[in-house]
Amino acid sequence: MRELAAELYKTVRRPAVWVCVLGLMMIAITIGYAVPWLAETFSKTTQGLPPGTTLADFKVTLYPQNFVFNTVGDPLGGVFALILGVLLQGSEYGWGTVKMLYTQRAGRVSMLAGKLAALAIVVVVMVIGLFAVDAVASVAAALFDGKMIQFPAAIEIVKGIGALSLDYAFWACFGFILATLFRQSAMAIGLGLAYALVVEGLIFGFGAALLSWLKNVQQWFPIANTGYLTDSLGSAKIKGIPESPPPFADATHAVIVLTAYVVVFVVISAVLVRRRDVTS
Amino acid sequence: MAATNAHDDVVSTHGLTKRYPNGIVAVDGLDLVVRRGEVYGFLGPNGAGKTTTLRMLLGLIRPTAGTANVAGAAPGTPASLTKVGAIVEAPAFYPYMTGYDNLRLLAIYCGVPAKRVDSALDAVELTPRAGHKFSTYSMGMKQRLGIAAALIKEPEVLILDEPTNGLDPQGMADVRNLITELGKGERTVLVSSHLLGEVEQMCTRIGVIRKGKLVAEGTIDELRGKSTLIIRAKPADQALAVLAGECGADKVKVTDDGAFSLSVEPARAAELNRRLVQAGIDVNELRESERSLEDVFMELTGTEGGL
Repeated sequence: MRELAAELYKTVRRPAVWVCVLGLMMIAITIGYAVPWLAETFSKTTQGLPPGTTLADFKVTLYPQNFVFNTVGDPLGGVFALILGVLLQGSEYGWGTVKMLYTQRAGRVSMLAGKLAALAIVVVVMVIGLFAVDAVASVAAALFDGKMIQFPAAIEIVKGIGALSLDYAFWACFGFILATLFRQSAMAIGLGLAYALVVEGLIFGFGAALLSWLKNVQQWFPIANTGYLTDSLGSAKIKGIPESPPPFADATHAVIVLTAYVVVFVVISAVLVRRRDVTS
Repeated sequence: MAATNAHDDVVSTHGLTKRYPNGIVAVDGLDLVVRRGEVYGFLGPNGAGKTTTLRMLLGLIRPTAGTANVAGAAPGTPASLTKVGAIVEAPAFYPYMTGYDNLRLLAIYCGVPAKRVDSALDAVELTPRAGHKFSTYSMGMKQRLGIAAALIKEPEVLILDEPTNGLDPQGMADVRNLITELGKGERTVLVSSHLLGEVEQMCTRIGVIRKGKLVAEGTIDELRGKSTLIIRAKPADQALAVLAGECGADKVKVTDDGAFSLSVEPARAAELNRRLVQAGIDVNELRESERSLEDVFMELTGTEGGL
């Protein structure tokens, strides 16, 4: 508990953490609500839309009954969680504070546990904060359009918070292990983004469309599973737009795979932290 | 000086060795003992293995061979770290937090009361700047905050790695005085340095390390050895005969510049002067000579660069 209290003490005082959390919320409102609402309200284009469907039909995704789908479907949150994971661990190497921490009373693994617990708390706060601002934004959208305010059932909101927390936990732990491996922040963020964009983004994104067997391989990779998890929650029904097919793997599969990644990342981080010499 | 039974050995190493995968042996079979209440100077040129040794004593680096005991426990274990305060190279803190918050953080980690933060800041005279961010501190203030951090636990042992590095002369003097004060009483201080002057001023005992090996250990007086008498007299051959007769041939050495160096008690200076004068020899110079610590250091480490 002492280690967690200490980690939280320095984490809440760190401006970069708040920049990440608040930055994600601002981007979520801007990209998730403000820009779509403006486009769907004022643009008259029907280019690329099925006959009889207008952009205004998409506004239903912005209303409270669909805010869970909108929030868990946010494509940028994982990047912010990755950065958080990197910052909390990588900066200790950059500032040289790791040697100061390891010469205090607690053991290295206890310190790591405290740090990961603090990271988990920040991630959950970020997720709940994101849900809160998205809920407010969805209410605002409905009020502007004179629509009825109807939120999904509480269980759906809890499921959404759980799914997004696991999604961000994976990303945060991915950033954490990269920072531990490379003992710095810059390379960890760079490689984390490169992995997301190149390995899962390009190879599976394009490759799976051409080679059907790649789908079977992809189901064991993490980012695909964050997609299965969010898709399993469902999606907004839009007039004239066919419903999305069910995800390749179900939510249970996604939860197991993502949890396994988180556990493996934590264990490897613990082994590295415990065994490595601190020479810088 | 403190007694020398095993219970008083606050820091001890036996055959402590660190060999890196690239084959470099940073510390080679080091046997070191620091006793309770000492201010022990760990002296050596740059790259001699001082920092690696101190890191091993703090559990930051694992030794390849050998054992160590710090404050009654294995290095790096909670049992040992509870009793040890340390600065390893430049003090490292969180730049976005104030000096106070940085120390408060350590107090939480160590489970010590918050009031210790105030007393530690007082001890290093940093209270007026405690509310400022660490990133705005001068080098001297950072170093003092590092010492305050080391004091938070009220440790039995302080391990300080080159604590005056990067300080201006006034800052160096302040830190030296502080360390001398901290070393009074039961507290043990192990301080590494490559600066002879500061070690000479602060330390009660010194260990000299060279290429990872301890090449000498003792008090400053022990390391300097006995003082000698230097005599310059003419004619030299007659003077040599008289001095050899008085002191023994093995006690008289002729130095490169033609003077005689006598390994005798300096109190015999007047007597020897009289003998030489009575023998009709002109005595041009007669003085006591004491080896400086610098001479000893040069001899032991074969280096000038570290000074």
